[in-house]
Amino acid sequence: MKKLLALLLCLMLALPVLAFADDTVEITLWTYPIGSWGNAETVDGIIKDFNAVHPEIKVTVQYLDYSSGDDQVTTAIEAKTTPDIIMEGPERLVANWGAAGKMLDISDLWAETKDDIIAASPAVEAACKNGEGIYYEYPLCMTTHCMVINYNDFEKAGALQYIDEEKHTWTTEGFLNALDALNAAGFVPTAVVYCGGQGGDQGTRALVTNLYSGQFTNADHTKYTMDSEANIKALKQLQELVANGKLDADPGIVAGDEIALFCNSTISIGFCWNASAAVSNKASLAEDVKVFPMAFPSDDGVPELQGGIWGFGLFDNGNEAKVAAAKTFIKFVCDDPAQAAKSVYASGFFPTRASLGDIYAGTDKAENGEYAIFMPYLGDYYQVTPNWAAQRTEWWNLLQRIFAGGDVEAEVAVYCQNANK
Amino acid sequence: MTVLSSRRMISPAMKRARRRENISAYIFMAPSLLFFLGFVIFPMGMCLVTSFFNYTMTDFSFIGLKNYVEMFQDAIFGKALVNTIVIVVVSVPVTCLFSLWVASLIYKMRNFSTSFFRCVFYLPVVTGSVAVTVVWKWIFNNYYGVLNYLCRSLGLISRNINWLGNAQYALACIITILLTTSVGQPIVLYVSALSNVDHSLIEAASVDGATNTQVFWKIKWPQIMPTTLYILVITTINSFQCFALIQLLTSGGPNNSTQTIMYYIYYNAFKLSRYGYGSAMGIILAVIIALFSALQFKLAKTDNG
Repeated sequence: MKKLLALLLCLMLALPVLAFADDTVEITLWTYPIGSWGNAETVDGIIKDFNAVHPEIKVTVQYLDYSSGDDQVTTAIEAKTTPDIIMEGPERLVANWGAAGKMLDISDLWAETKDDIIAASPAVEAACKNGEGIYYEYPLCMTTHCMVINYNDFEKAGALQYIDEEKHTWTTEGFLNALDALNAAGFVPTAVVYCGGQGGDQGTRALVTNLYSGQFTNADHTKYTMDSEANIKALKQLQELVANGKLDADPGIVAGDEIALFCNSTISIGFCWNASAAVSNKASLAEDVKVFPMAFPSDDGVPELQGGIWGFGLFDNGNEAKVAAAKTFIKFVCDDPAQAAKSVYASGFFPTRASLGDIYAGTDKAENGEYAIFMPYLGDYYQVTPNWAAQRTEWWNLLQRIFAGGDVEAEVAVYCQNANK
Repeated sequence: MTVLSSRRMISPAMKRARRRENISAYIFMAPSLLFFLGFVIFPMGMCLVTSFFNYTMTDFSFIGLKNYVEMFQDAIFGKALVNTIVIVVVSVPVTCLFSLWVASLIYKMRNFSTSFFRCVFYLPVVTGSVAVTVVWKWIFNNYYGVLNYLCRSLGLISRNINWLGNAQYALACIITILLTTSVGQPIVLYVSALSNVDHSLIEAASVDGATNTQVFWKIKWPQIMPTTLYILVITTINSFQCFALIQLLTSGGPNNSTQTIMYYIYYNAFKLSRYGYGSAMGIILAVIIALFSALQFKLAKTDNG
């Protein structure tokens, strides 16, 4: 009896080995919540489609969130338990983990699709490689982050005259007039410059840099340039608006809280919005909220919007079979004629291949297509500038100090000194 | 002589039995000992070692005491240290006194009432910091928070206060939340300790004409002193390690006004990948906690006579 039991136990131990004794390769994918790429049902569907073509590759998925995802990856890097594939943007794949030598060069994936990607946006191609031309990201989708107004509030306040409803743009002067009109009509608070940290900083950065056409970094992405005349003027303008009660600034809330305030009609203008946010917040909109996406206001009326580019990178785990399987998966998801559009559709954003065209026409997410109007305003992808993680904290601290009444020039000098270390 | 003769009388069979007993004891102890060595002692040793290295995602080079030198020149670390000490100095005595007061009131009640109040005060402990924090975030909300609503209704304030967004109030808010999650366990412990005080001594003192205050300080207080010491040490350690509240509510802001050593360690290690620098701060935090705990042991021992 004992011998039989021992034999059974040995067989049970050997089962996992026997199960993978065939040609099956198991790979792991970690994904941040990029639209429905954070939704298990959606991703399972994509993997099911993949396995219909490649049953020899088993994909295991782990879902990350933006509050703890970076910590999980950092821990995995130090423990050498990184996934084979990770889905995120160039600020992490290229500027952070790629620069630290943790990612694999995936230039070979670009061979056939480079022209198609450049045709969609040259900025995408530039953002996915480092200074030496090594590609660490293979892009799937992109968007431009914009802001949003409550059309109904603007209409009631007579502020629609200050926006270009066709182009969804406005000038700095129009923005200031709109704030006056909203205040006069009793729509207070009009908007909140959130500065509590933890993500969404693209909205506040775009607000500051667009007001007087400043740049966040230099053209080489080697230095943060908040100390330019245009940026200081913009910060002073915002500080004055807050001091006069035309605008609120709140170090106690983060971007998610600000979106909630917009959705429940507490504020009339939101600074953190995009096509995916429009879909994910649809159910939580108050009755009197009519979403109207807007570009950030700029002195010349031509905004330069902050881009988001998401795609896949490979961690260097030293297993060639897994690398090959991971590349097969990425190519399928991004380039398979039957799958590529579905993969982008899941993100709620726009394809990084010109050949895919308008993927939302005639679908449930047709309104997402409206956000394509902002794509021509896609600005410089500066999130690959060194010291990015530390700079983000410095940015929140800068805003907090300025809105607490700090001297703009002095505070900007402190920010630049710390961010450019 | 008696001892020697009794030692001589131990037979080989008894020796074997004792050895077997010892071995059994070690075997029973082994799992927790291994766990303790692997997950407490080894990481502590690693932390000490890495604190002497420039340990980042791309580098691991020996730099001696440079991390420690940098730390004491780091203004944010200084601010974090001050904030942490403020949290400890305020929350530890308040937690102990409040818990003792509540426990003194409820331990004499009927069983049902005592259990009910113990349950009420223990709820925030078992609820989980994330859920508790979300509720408090809503209470403190600048735009539709209950606290602002109450204060305005009572005429205490004329316009909303940004409780978590104003450096003047943010740390006080954090300490308030910390108190609500800290008092549960001390209350349960004090209720138990007060119930175990020798009743015959209290009766004898009362017969001798002792007042309630005298009974408390002369009879009860010395008997609950070991519990007080335990509560002081545990609350001190928990207050020093205040992290989740900061991460979920303020991220150390506004302008580092709620920055604590624990959060700054996390920020350096996980956000900036400066593991060596984070380890050095961890070592200093451990030393500070050890000093505070030793001081508490010393004072409690003196009080105990």
